[in-house]
Amino acid sequence: MEKDDFYTNDGNGIGIPQPWNSIFGMELEAQVNEMNSQQIPNCFFNRNWENSMDQSDPFESALSSIVSSPVNSHPGIAIQGCGGPRENVVLKELIGRLGSICNSGEISPQSCINGNNFNLNCNNNNSTNASCYNTPLNSPPKLNLSIMDQNHNQIHGNYHRSDPEFPHMMESRIAIPSSDKKLSRLSMSLNQENKELDNSMEESSVSEQITGMETGIKSQNVRKRKDVPKGKRKETQFSNLSTKDNKVKADKEESITKRSKSEENAKLVEPPKDYIHVRARRGQATDSHSLAERVRREKISERMKFLQDLVPGCNKVTGKAVMLDEIINYVQSLQRQVEFLSMKLATVNPRTDVNMEALLSKDASMMNAMNHLDASAHPFYGMVHNGPDNMLMSMMHRGSNMKSSQIDGFSEVSAFWENDLQSVVQMGFGQNQGPSFHATMGTGQMKVEL
Amino acid sequence: MHSASSIKQKFLKKWIMGLQLCNSSKKNMTIMERRKAIKLSADLALASVRNYTTRWSRALVASASQNDDNQALLQHIIGSDAAKHKKASINVVANSTTSVAKKIASKKILKRSWGIRRVRKLSNGALKDPPYSIAKRLVKKRTQLLKNLVPGGESMDAISLIEETLDYMVWLRAQVDVMRSLARASERLDGK
Repeated sequence: MEKDDFYTNDGNGIGIPQPWNSIFGMELEAQVNEMNSQQIPNCFFNRNWENSMDQSDPFESALSSIVSSPVNSHPGIAIQGCGGPRENVVLKELIGRLGSICNSGEISPQSCINGNNFNLNCNNNNSTNASCYNTPLNSPPKLNLSIMDQNHNQIHGNYHRSDPEFPHMMESRIAIPSSDKKLSRLSMSLNQENKELDNSMEESSVSEQITGMETGIKSQNVRKRKDVPKGKRKETQFSNLSTKDNKVKADKEESITKRSKSEENAKLVEPPKDYIHVRARRGQATDSHSLAERVRREKISERMKFLQDLVPGCNKVTGKAVMLDEIINYVQSLQRQVEFLSMKLATVNPRTDVNMEALLSKDASMMNAMNHLDASAHPFYGMVHNGPDNMLMSMMHRGSNMKSSQIDGFSEVSAFWENDLQSVVQMGFGQNQGPSFHATMGTGQMKVEL
Repeated sequence: MHSASSIKQKFLKKWIMGLQLCNSSKKNMTIMERRKAIKLSADLALASVRNYTTRWSRALVASASQNDDNQALLQHIIGSDAAKHKKASINVVANSTTSVAKKIASKKILKRSWGIRRVRKLSNGALKDPPYSIAKRLVKKRTQLLKNLVPGGESMDAISLIEETLDYMVWLRAQVDVMRSLARASERLDGK
């Protein structure tokens, strides 16, 4: 039964500290692993221009066609082959074409920064022509060079940043699955440069960027040259990582591990290191309120997923309202069952009281009783018959047939009753364990279901 | 599983303790009284086994403690967890009606201020589609229902409400299982 899943998470049997939290952890880890495995192939996938055509991104295909047209043979090397003075012209032309292709309407600040970087790098680079494409992500040109050298495919060198760095970023926390995130790319670029500059605050967001990198870079390149002055302003703003930006970004992207630690309180109150970093999605508002609301909504939907697993028959249901309806029905039914059972217990057993009193007169014996289940259980079940209504009487009858420890008559009987009860309960609980249950069913008269 | 059954055993033990107390105090009870006593001790046992770490368990205890008749039972079941009891009592006090009312009132004020801002925003921007607003209303209604169902749920926001519901459901299921087994056992014992 699924509840066992929850119970087994608990190492000690004392309570269920946070069963679904551990499941959270598992889920989150699974997600993280998934993310990690997803992103790396994505990035490597774009390594070759030829492969880029396979992507459905029109941008990519257009870019590749553009690249291949003005320059000769090998697309991968084509850009690299551009000579010095002609390079800027060609690249500007390409960028212009890209701009026409790119239909994304937002004027994101990233373009500013990219534009800034682009200019920087174009001026500085001679041999590494493809670094122009890499500029949005690598603001320090020297760093670009180093990265260029590392990657044979210059154009997509961005995606790797630097190979040793890349897996590191993969390992770092990733929260939202890859979808186009303009702001993410922006902050990613900034983060990367900040990272280079030994700022570790945006680490978690960096990894997140990589997913958006492939599609992001192209559109970044488009916008680069257009909003240079804005870019400068924004760049400084972001590069400083003012607290305001931190807060804006902080709410959004959950690094999953962070969220599991710092859940509801984390949004605005925590010190900078513990901020929850969130990325605004593409085409969405970026003010802090809507972002915070998005975070809240995502949290809610996550928890609803857990509830889906818990409530029987909710697998196919989607949507909050219907799910809530099911949950309400389920909780109501459980509560009604409790009421019904308590009523049943109240009516069924008038003599229960006395026995229970005797039962619990010795707590120690109760614990021992659990160990003596087998011995006492069999004869007890053998004696279930239409005897006297009085449970006590029947227990007396049974008690005489049973071997017992040194307890006097009444308490002996009650101890055995307690044994039986415990065994019954245990059997009921042990239904899932199968074989042991059947082993103790001596006479098989007792039918206990869960 | 072992932990599950041990939890259930603990619950059973506490519950029987409570029942024992009830029955020793009043020898002749009507059926309704018995039912109430049984249910009450079951709830308290559940809450105590949960160690009062969750909202609903504390709320259960709080609501039970407000009724003076239950004091003895309360003491019996919960008094044994002395240290936890102190914490629980503090939490119980904290979650008592006054503070809950205050929380609710403060939330309402907050929501009202947000609503004013939203009205301004919405007057500018396009209203969302009717289906969306209908869905929102439905969800709101149902969360309100859920808040009434889960003990102590009135003062919780949606996120923690769902968490509490999760927890509560699991434990409620355990309670139902124990009670059902006990009912069956007593049926058999009576020879029905």
